[in-house]
Amino acid sequence: MIATIEPELATVCQRDTTLETLLQQPEGRRILSCIQCGICAGTCPYGEYMDFPPRRIISMLRRGLMEEVFQSDSMLRCVACYACMTKCPRGIRLSDVLLPLVKEQTLQRAPEMPAELQRSLQNTLRYGNPMGESSRKRANWVTTSPVPVPILAEIRRPVDVLWFVECYTSYYPRGQDNSRAVARLFNALGIDFAILGNEEKCAGDCGQLTWESGLFETLTDYNMEILRKYKFNRLVTGDTHAYNAFRIRYPMYGFNYELEHTTPFLTRHVEQLKPRLKKPLNVTVTYHDACCLGRRAGFYEEGRTLLRAIPGVKLVEMVHNRMNSLCCGGGGGGMWLDTYFKQKGMDRLSERRIKEALATGADVLAISCPYEVYRFEDALKTLPHARPMRVRDVVELLAESLED
Amino acid sequence: MRTPRPDQVRIGFYICHCGTNIAGALDVGEVVNHVAGLPGVALARDYKYLCSDPGQELIQHDIRDHGLNRIVVAACSPLMHERTFRRAVEEAGLNPFYCHMVNIREHDAWVHTDRQEATAKAKALATGAVRRVALHKPLETKKVPIHGEVLVVGGGIAGIHAALILADAGKRVYLVEREPTIGGHMARFDKTFPTLDCAACILTPKMSAVGAHPNITLWTYSEVTQVEGYVGNFNVTVTRKPRYVIEDACTGCLQCIEACIYHDARFPDEFNLGLGKRKPIHLPFPQATPPVVLIDPGTCIEFKTGKCKKTCVEACADRRAIDFQQREETRQIQVGTIIIATGFQTFDPRRIPYYGYGVFPTVYTALEVERLLNAAGPTGGEVILRNGKPPQRVGIVHCVGSRDENTNRYCSRVCCLYSLKLAHLIKEHTGAEVYNFYIDIRTPGKGMEEFYNRVAEEGMHLVRGKVADVYPDPADPANGRLMLQVEDTLMGRILKVPVDMLVLSVGLEPRADTQEVRRKFNLCCGPEGFFLERHPKLAPVSSYAEGVFLAGCCQGPKDIPDTVAQAGAAAAQALALIVRGYTEQEPNTAYVREEDCSGCKSCIPLCPYTAISLAADKQKAFINEALCKGCGVCVAACPSGSIGQNLFEDEQLLSEVEGVLTYA
Amino acid sequence: MREGNWRPRIVAFFCNWCTYTAADLAGVSRLKYAPNARVIRLMCSGRLDPQLVLAAFARGADGVLIGGCHPGDCHYLEGNYKTLRRFRLLRRLLRDLGIEEERLRLEWVSAAEGEKIRQVVTDMVETLRALGPLDLPGQFRQWDQEVETLKAQVVEAERLTPQPA
Ligand SMILES: Cc1cc2nc3c(=O)[nH]c(=O)nc-3n(C[C@H](O)[C@H](O)[C@H](O)COP(=O)(O)OP(=O)(O)OC[C@H]3O[C@@H](n4cnc5c(N)ncnc54)[C@H](O)[C@@H]3O)c2cc1C
Ligand code: FES
Repeated sequence: MIATIEPELATVCQRDTTLETLLQQPEGRRILSCIQCGICAGTCPYGEYMDFPPRRIISMLRRGLMEEVFQSDSMLRCVACYACMTKCPRGIRLSDVLLPLVKEQTLQRAPEMPAELQRSLQNTLRYGNPMGESSRKRANWVTTSPVPVPILAEIRRPVDVLWFVECYTSYYPRGQDNSRAVARLFNALGIDFAILGNEEKCAGDCGQLTWESGLFETLTDYNMEILRKYKFNRLVTGDTHAYNAFRIRYPMYGFNYELEHTTPFLTRHVEQLKPRLKKPLNVTVTYHDACCLGRRAGFYEEGRTLLRAIPGVKLVEMVHNRMNSLCCGGGGGGMWLDTYFKQKGMDRLSERRIKEALATGADVLAISCPYEVYRFEDALKTLPHARPMRVRDVVELLAESLED
Repeated sequence: MRTPRPDQVRIGFYICHCGTNIAGALDVGEVVNHVAGLPGVALARDYKYLCSDPGQELIQHDIRDHGLNRIVVAACSPLMHERTFRRAVEEAGLNPFYCHMVNIREHDAWVHTDRQEATAKAKALATGAVRRVALHKPLETKKVPIHGEVLVVGGGIAGIHAALILADAGKRVYLVEREPTIGGHMARFDKTFPTLDCAACILTPKMSAVGAHPNITLWTYSEVTQVEGYVGNFNVTVTRKPRYVIEDACTGCLQCIEACIYHDARFPDEFNLGLGKRKPIHLPFPQATPPVVLIDPGTCIEFKTGKCKKTCVEACADRRAIDFQQREETRQIQVGTIIIATGFQTFDPRRIPYYGYGVFPTVYTALEVERLLNAAGPTGGEVILRNGKPPQRVGIVHCVGSRDENTNRYCSRVCCLYSLKLAHLIKEHTGAEVYNFYIDIRTPGKGMEEFYNRVAEEGMHLVRGKVADVYPDPADPANGRLMLQVEDTLMGRILKVPVDMLVLSVGLEPRADTQEVRRKFNLCCGPEGFFLERHPKLAPVSSYAEGVFLAGCCQGPKDIPDTVAQAGAAAAQALALIVRGYTEQEPNTAYVREEDCSGCKSCIPLCPYTAISLAADKQKAFINEALCKGCGVCVAACPSGSIGQNLFEDEQLLSEVEGVLTYA
Repeated sequence: MREGNWRPRIVAFFCNWCTYTAADLAGVSRLKYAPNARVIRLMCSGRLDPQLVLAAFARGADGVLIGGCHPGDCHYLEGNYKTLRRFRLLRRLLRDLGIEEERLRLEWVSAAEGEKIRQVVTDMVETLRALGPLDLPGQFRQWDQEVETLKAQVVEAERLTPQPA
């Protein structure tokens, strides 16, 4: 099995790396070893819609012709699914090193930014979440939780787990389902946890805001300051994007807390959880490997382990699974580029994925990234299908099976 | 102490430029000046290439003209040229062990960038050597006789070829092969590039020659389990697995197979990689050597229940070759030299899940396709898919598990050519459209580029791009049609190519048990895991273990011509040792200074070779020089400091330590 | 010698079969690493007399690096296990002498691990830089001086003390 190469911090581009300084660094120099095999372009879900897929970008970079690349909108079509990076035979960390820098330049030169994307970036800056909701309502969902969800500022004591909830799971109804499920699971496991409540702001990775480095730094500085106010043993988040931001980029800003995503966290507790999972669900489930959890962080089996722990779940696989999973199209800002992609005549990746899911004959499409509920539920609405299919986060399924 | 008085010591110091290898990285003159001022140094010089004849002669003349009695050579690694300079010194009438080398190339010039620092380091190392060599003693090398017998491990084309050369030269050869037959990978091929001659036609005569040769003892289904001793004198234990058939009694008539209680062959056949079926009693393939059947106890009814009618035994009748009681046996042999020819294994493509091997039944490895093409193979030489149909469109993916940081970094060297071969053969057999997906086509070697041209002209599709994704063709999912997604990098276009059959050109890998074999024979492995040769250019078939040679793909991927050439070279090297009749051993053995030994016995259990005993009469430790290998463990452990080690005396090491710490 | 252009000195005892060969491989591969280690070749790491290590420190080494074959790979079967035992004792001894344990390092390096030589030496130089000079010879000199001063003081005191009649 090919494992995702673990990003040692030295191999991701540093805060001050630019395209000019890139080739002076070990990670940049590795780009020079590219053999132009084209696997990056071939595996790219939107490869056929790009004038400059990663392979060509590298060859333009080596010839000093990057300006041409910036003029094209190829990089706007990158959904940061990490497929090219995972398969690259030269181990070039395309999605971690090269592509963000190119995307940043492309956006800077774009005559106008796709409106939807621009709006969400502005919202994030202004309100700390891309949907432009009031930051004072961030913790409102807590009142709908069946179990108490303590807020750090209120309880004023150290906790074991600081649960970083994130935006979609705080504001959107289907996201809140996810949050309520996590709260129930933590509660069932007797975890001493609390959230930041209204003090929390988007971690910044969502939509790969990393590529708007100014905005990202504003958010990082803010969140780091809040984190420093409190005492906790580890930070756990259910948002795969936030997870990777904390894992890879926040350490450059002084973050050195223990960190876990809910999926591996719960997998670690699966034996404790099992006796509590009493209600059989009697469904066939297919599991979608989120790019950020699978290819980017290397967690392929954890989600499946959790699903297998639920009584009455039959697990079936889609053709593209694990490291070869197909992206839902929400990464890299794709969450806010649907209209743009449509204008350009590109098909929706979430629909491609749903077709594969439907082909398995499963009743439930299990996911583990908060973007996916929307993407897949939307796709199901537009795609005719005979057999009903539900989209459920793994935590929702676990909570469903929980007998309080 | 036996230290000679300093006024007696006349050291000659020589530093080699090694072209610009050394002189380009450090200041040779400065080192000479520094050393010239050290006590005991009578002469210090630099020279362009000391290992050349004039270089050696320079030292020899100086020894005579200047009365030098110690020589220090600062140059490359002693593992490279220590022998050269010792010999030169000896020819000039000096004891060779008065010569000492300083490694300023591999350990200095090649690894440091700061000229000043590199020069300082060279000075320090040279000072250590000068200090040490003053304390050197004259020593004698021991000559150890070499047994004339040779062990060849592995009976692929490499082992076969080496064994035959040695046997033809009149030497006794033990050929030990793990599988029930010799032949290795080559026995599985249909035809071989670049000439497209049939593998069986060129291999099987050699296999039978091995079987019939009076000088070759062939032990198949056997493994070397233990190796003791050293060059000239290896004691080897070979374990022979039971095949439940007495080798000498079996005539290879195969009537037992006919008579087996199972009418039909129904168990996956290992030789055909599971593509065909065999019975519990079977012969791997018709030309197997030796032509002796074997029983697989895992599937044989007699073994499973003890209640078989044993129709095979009936059929064998008075030949009485079948023996259900057979046990594993061990044999002890003594050999002087060893040739390792254990070959390679093919890359397991399940490690690249996106190619769907083991998931989609129409995905095959190249080796499997070799069997499908082989007239003696499971389909009688017809390329038929698992669904019973011949393919109309075939994709061949190059470099599977090669040139990839995620699997193996190196190029497996033969895959381009065998892929072209398979493309040709598949087209010839089926008339299918064949697509080769490659990164770079590499065809070095005689006749190879011509072969590439020939195949290209036959109308192969050659697509430059690494296949990125394989999935069932959405338009035709039922028939096992696969869609290959790839960028044609020369056109800059993403292609989606539907195929009925996908062939994975898997790379060549070190065998799974390489580490075990390495330990057994005291070998080294390179970073890719293949056995490491003593020198990449000058000693390509020598291993790091004296008297053990490497042949074929166990040393790295190569084609049959190169394998055979290397096997010949390994045989010649073994022969050279045998013909000379002896080897010289480093006199770095340990000895006891009896006057200091208190007879405490602490050294005795430490010796890995039980070379130390207590002399009963004197109650002092005694080291048997013939058994001592010179590791020095006892020296370091002796509480009274009464054990010395030639060439590694405490005083010598201590002076060297002092020397390297006096920075210039 | 202090700070400024002070360069840590490392005496490296490498066994002939694995570690020394690995250092050769590093050379052949043209890997670049810190020039501070002076390699002394032994047939086996098991030859390393603890006294040699102490002698190296006493003669001015800031660190001592021992290199041997990986467990199970010793050319002489188990010399490296003996080294490991001695290494542990030596480290304890150093600690008791007030010398930082990190100054003595043991690494298993196989003949194929040229890269590891680079890493280990470079890393050790960094460690030693952080620890600063050990300079036992200097310390010895200082103690000698102190003893001398003490002696002089005693003599002086004796001179001043009125002699008993
Ligand atoms: C698909 C494919 C097609 C190829 N086609 C061609 C071609 O057309 N032309 C060409 O020139 N080359 C070709 N090659 C390369 C060719 O296979 C090798 O050059 C050749 O087989 C090397 O021979 P070998 O004896 O070194 O190794 P092997 O053939 O691997 O033989 C090694 C033998 O040692 C035995 N062995 C292994 N370990 C032990 C042990 N511990 N104890 C005892 N016995 C042991 C094995 O059982 C085996 O019999 C091809 C390779 C592949 C993978
Ligand atoms: S030979 Fe390397 S440690 Fe013994």
